[in-house]
Amino acid sequence: MARRAIHKASNIFQRVFRRRYACLSERLGDIKHPIQSYRSTSTDPYLNLSIEHHLLQTSHPDTTILFLYINRPCIVIGRNQNPWYEVNLGMLQDSRAGHPEETDAPNIGNVDLVRRRSGGGTVFHDEGNVNWTVICPPSSFTRDRHAEMVVRALRKQGIERARVNERHDIVLDQGARETSSGYQSDPSDLHTTPYSHASQAFSRPLKVSGSAYKLTRLRALHHGTCLLQSPNLHAIPRYLRSPVKPYIKTRGVESVSSPVTNIGLSTDIFAAMVQQQFAEMYGADRLEHVQIGKEQLHLSDVRKGYDELRTPDWTYCQTPQFTLSTVPESVALNPRAMPHQVTVSVKHGTILDIDVHSNSQELLREAATIPRVKLTELRQKLQMSKSASGTIGHWLTASLAV
Amino acid sequence: MEKKYTQDHEWIELDTDGKTATLGISKHAASALGDVVYVELPQDDMEIVAGDAIGSVESVKSASDILTPVSGQVVETNKILEEKPSALNSDPEGAAWIAKIVIEGASLEEAAKDSELMDAEAYRKFTEEASED
Repeated sequence: MARRAIHKASNIFQRVFRRRYACLSERLGDIKHPIQSYRSTSTDPYLNLSIEHHLLQTSHPDTTILFLYINRPCIVIGRNQNPWYEVNLGMLQDSRAGHPEETDAPNIGNVDLVRRRSGGGTVFHDEGNVNWTVICPPSSFTRDRHAEMVVRALRKQGIERARVNERHDIVLDQGARETSSGYQSDPSDLHTTPYSHASQAFSRPLKVSGSAYKLTRLRALHHGTCLLQSPNLHAIPRYLRSPVKPYIKTRGVESVSSPVTNIGLSTDIFAAMVQQQFAEMYGADRLEHVQIGKEQLHLSDVRKGYDELRTPDWTYCQTPQFTLSTVPESVALNPRAMPHQVTVSVKHGTILDIDVHSNSQELLREAATIPRVKLTELRQKLQMSKSASGTIGHWLTASLAV
Repeated sequence: MEKKYTQDHEWIELDTDGKTATLGISKHAASALGDVVYVELPQDDMEIVAGDAIGSVESVKSASDILTPVSGQVVETNKILEEKPSALNSDPEGAAWIAKIVIEGASLEEAAKDSELMDAEAYRKFTEEASED
């Protein structure tokens, strides 16, 4: 009896499932819903980014779409970034191994590393951070437009220090309010606040939301992170400081680091305010905010994107070409600084060449034995070729193995 | 030979040999993108189909695809763009070409199949109309 009841319930569940996902594809293609709003029920960063990409790729070109999601702790690098340069990968491995107390990794559990499809720099996400995405036609796209929308939402909640800066990020001005006579604040100016003047003179504004974009033929995607109540602010700089950075020379995009802070609002209040502001901006009365989540993996392209984002090939081997040297970049021009200099060049995440500047026959011999493999397979392949214990093998494993 | 433009803001020009075409992005596209900081070129010898993303550009935190309007095979890429991405801003329709492609078909139009190719004047009108939307 009980089994039958469960069976029946699961049938209904499946019917609802099917109706829901058939529904998403239909809605996305339907210009009768020109303004659409979604919120994710999942905190899986790979899933949320894949749903977001699906919204970008399949929505009707004339629709404008809001998507809000929260990710579990993860580090998200830009499309054209180098994780060895941007991230303390060793610290990620330590937290993954589940014994952070033996190392100096912050005790915040597993932290995923994710390469997104949009440009820009590296950010840290956790449950205190809401990601907001707006997808719109290129004709109505500017780099500030939707950051301004979020600032309007924040100011309605009394966050009057919020503004959009020249890098299209959202910052909170610091310092005292402008009180000089003759000063009039203009609440409709989303790029300055009554605190801007003092802030720039005495203390830097603090960043609360970064922007990144993906532009396709028919669509423009703008997404941002919004730090509301992250308990991990102290840990962020440690994760985003790579110990091998001084030894790497890389193509691609380098992050610009900024001091950050929490806004202090709850994630639910922020989400509701952004939804309201979005509806108002696009004149959508009674806009439905549709919840979507892991049931979307039934859509074959969401599943495909999800599987791709989770592969080491995507995360690591999509890295722009770079070199790692035994001598820091800053002193590399002075060969006397170090008698033995080894430089390894990496393309598509694969060792291309190992260049040894040394008279040491041992080093030269060892360099020849290092297999030209993907860095994601380096540890295993070095052990198989018995080169792991050599000077170069040891250095390569410590610096680049993932 | 005359330069043709696409709705995706690429330009393509057939060489005098009648089978190799040079592909790049238009001045209009380069100025809309802003400062280019990274260019990912297609692989040499890659077989491509009209409409494919064959590379990408990053500018001001934006990732954009480079699309090919024609089918064929990539025979050369402009490696200067890897060293100096900003060249794409200074001379997008000249020195900062992106790839040379041996086209599949007897003409650009045949190799472009579905996508419309415009001459410079038609493209100018197209960009003016698009910005009035």
